[in-house]
Amino acid sequence: MSEAAIQKNDRPAKIKSKKNKVLIFFIKLIRNPSALIGSLLVLTAIGCALFAPFIAPYNPEKINLIERLAPPSWVDPNSPYLLGGDPIGRDLLSRIIYGARVSLLVGISGVVLSSIFGVILGLIAGFFRGWLDELIMRIADIQLAFPFILFAIVVMSILGSGIWKIIIILGLTYWVGFARIVRGQTMSLKETEYIQAAYVVGSNNFKIIMKHVLPNVFSSILVLSTLYIAEFILLEAALTFLGLGSDPTIPSWGGMLADSRNYLSTAWWTATFPGIAIMLTVMGFNLLGDWLRDELDPNIQI
Amino acid sequence: MKKRFAMLLMVALLVVVTALSGCSSSKGSSSSSGVSKNPVSGRSNELVVGVDGDPHSWDPIATFLLAWSNVANSVFEGLVNRDNNLKIHPALATSWKYINKNTLQFKLRKGVKFQDGEPFNAAAVKFTFDRLLGPEGKKGPQQANYTSIDHVQIIDNNTVNFILKQPDPVLITKLAGYGAVIVPPKYIKQHGAQYFANHPIGTGPYKMTSYKKDNQVVLEKNKYYWKSGEPKIGKVVFRIIPDPSTRLADFQTGAIDIMKTVQVSQAATVKKLKYATLMQASTPTVYSLRFNVKKSPVNHVKVRQAINYAIDKKAIIDKVLNGYGKEISTYQSTLSFGNNPNLKPYPYDPAKAKKLLASAGVKNGTSLDMFISGSDATFKEVAQTVSAYLQQVGLKVNIHTVDGSTLTSKLTPTGKAGQFYQMGWGGWTLDFDNTAYLLYSKGQFWNPDFYDPQVEKLLAAERSTVDQTKRQKIFMQLTQKLYNDVPEVNLFQTVALYAVNNRVVGFAPPHDDRINLAQSSLKK
Repeated sequence: MSEAAIQKNDRPAKIKSKKNKVLIFFIKLIRNPSALIGSLLVLTAIGCALFAPFIAPYNPEKINLIERLAPPSWVDPNSPYLLGGDPIGRDLLSRIIYGARVSLLVGISGVVLSSIFGVILGLIAGFFRGWLDELIMRIADIQLAFPFILFAIVVMSILGSGIWKIIIILGLTYWVGFARIVRGQTMSLKETEYIQAAYVVGSNNFKIIMKHVLPNVFSSILVLSTLYIAEFILLEAALTFLGLGSDPTIPSWGGMLADSRNYLSTAWWTATFPGIAIMLTVMGFNLLGDWLRDELDPNIQI
Repeated sequence: MKKRFAMLLMVALLVVVTALSGCSSSKGSSSSSGVSKNPVSGRSNELVVGVDGDPHSWDPIATFLLAWSNVANSVFEGLVNRDNNLKIHPALATSWKYINKNTLQFKLRKGVKFQDGEPFNAAAVKFTFDRLLGPEGKKGPQQANYTSIDHVQIIDNNTVNFILKQPDPVLITKLAGYGAVIVPPKYIKQHGAQYFANHPIGTGPYKMTSYKKDNQVVLEKNKYYWKSGEPKIGKVVFRIIPDPSTRLADFQTGAIDIMKTVQVSQAATVKKLKYATLMQASTPTVYSLRFNVKKSPVNHVKVRQAINYAIDKKAIIDKVLNGYGKEISTYQSTLSFGNNPNLKPYPYDPAKAKKLLASAGVKNGTSLDMFISGSDATFKEVAQTVSAYLQQVGLKVNIHTVDGSTLTSKLTPTGKAGQFYQMGWGGWTLDFDNTAYLLYSKGQFWNPDFYDPQVEKLLAAERSTVDQTKRQKIFMQLTQKLYNDVPEVNLFQTVALYAVNNRVVGFAPPHDDRINLAQSSLKK
């Protein structure tokens, strides 16, 4: 069945109950191949992160020097590891499964933090305008002009490295994206009739923002969040690759890539599989994000 | 439509990636032509060396970096010279003898000229040491090594006397060191020290003709060189490439002929190349985990011993370093004077480690902070292995990766590098004096915490005599004491690895980073 046919049959306007709305949403998701693949990839990553201790065949921190750089077991039947061993004999598969935790933790916490900053500042700027708007948007401009990696390196050489520091840096830099979108939409929403009407019946600013503005910008926030998670996963990998990440015993995809750089020509699996893990997860979030944008709000510019 | 196309593209990409990985697994990558054909072309009498650092000043009194000696060893010479077997030979001096306890006389080589034509003579030697020991030398790190010299006295044009303040057992070795290379008096007076730091002139086999900071150094044959028939190569370029992967890539594409500091993890790749040879030389550099002996629980000597027993150093060398390293008992290499052959490295004995920890009252699960350099991939593997060994005896290690120079120049000297931290130490004089004094004497820059009155006494005793048998005896006591006290866990003595293109003939890898190219030549 084609997309158009579903849309004709199940026009959201006809649906009254919330439950049905959610159901329709899922049916649409399943019917769209790229959204389906995207959500499956994302679910796999989330599943790995949540159930890592049950899925992983080995302890990801268990060092076994005898199996150092052991090839994948389907290449060398003597190898105990399905995807091979890393430079100090840890199981790559287990480390990739556990590595999902760091990536998703950074991706999701980074988005939560940056969206909190961004949405609040965007609402203030778009709703009240004036000098506050000017100030916030100029800070945003400055922020955008500053190269992220440089900022991260400077901050981390002062504060030291670690996952939570990466998250805080992401929050402090990427709020701009949220703030800009929210501000733009708030400005146009403020001119709509129903918000003018809310003023007339005596609602205060806070109530209007929470009841009428925020719910209407929510879909944009959701879309941007999904796309930013993908970006943050890549940034975490990049920062860990540069040696600014966490304790090297904690499995992380970027760290695994960095550790295997010198083995590219002798043990291809050490870099290939973490690389594929990053690629698939980022692709998953991007596909899902693209579909969400088309579905929820095709007009937003992200 | 658009979306479908994107999907197809992605699926295609996946297939390609999988196919590629399948390929390399079934064939093994050794069959490709990339490993057999020599990639170098178009450089007939020019040698390119890829090194890992730029010292930023070529002035010998202003440096103590190995990166300086990579290049400067071809530009400068001292009165004596240490060869590749670490033996001292006459260089700009032809002979020397002690006239009395505090006077050392050198006969100088005749007919030697600096690269700009200025003659080398007794005045140049006096100028060099006046400069080193005077206010100009005070600004740099080299002066401290030569404080036993009071001044240099000119006897005639080819004879000088070194007047000493006190006997210095390591003086001759030190005269082969960085700070004691002879510099041209007229040239420096005319151009100033600033200019000299970027345009150095010495008596060595090659003259520096161009220097681009953090990029490359070009050397050309010194036409005045005193050894006949040397150097054999017309032009040598040192390219500064800090990242080891980039350096290796440049070696494989033929952009460089000699790659310095091949990582242990890259050794297998180099060995596969049919046009190149992997050369190795043991070095005096020892890697250790140094304790901050003021911090609990490692302030307790039993805990430090336990940690030493808990780490299987042999397995680390054999497996993580692929055998490119040597076990070691104290913080000096077997190459160095004062090495104690009777001491054996702490054996791997986790049971004993547990017992010692228990008797020191350390609880199971006690956590320790370890600081290492984030850019040192090999040591990162070592540190993680150490962490796994310590976990087996009930210690939890938190590894902090920090910027390498922040670690050595900021965190370590201020005692902010956790309970233990990575430290590599060279001991360039190949005499334990240098290492022991700088690392165990109270108040030294890299010793923020260790103090032991007996160690201080032994250090003072060792310095007060030039009688090598007496000093050897003192060093045996000192090493035994340090061995028992465990101010650090000595993990391994490093091996320097060089990748050398087979078109280079007569290159021998140095033990001490002082690359010598005077005897090397190139196949046509």
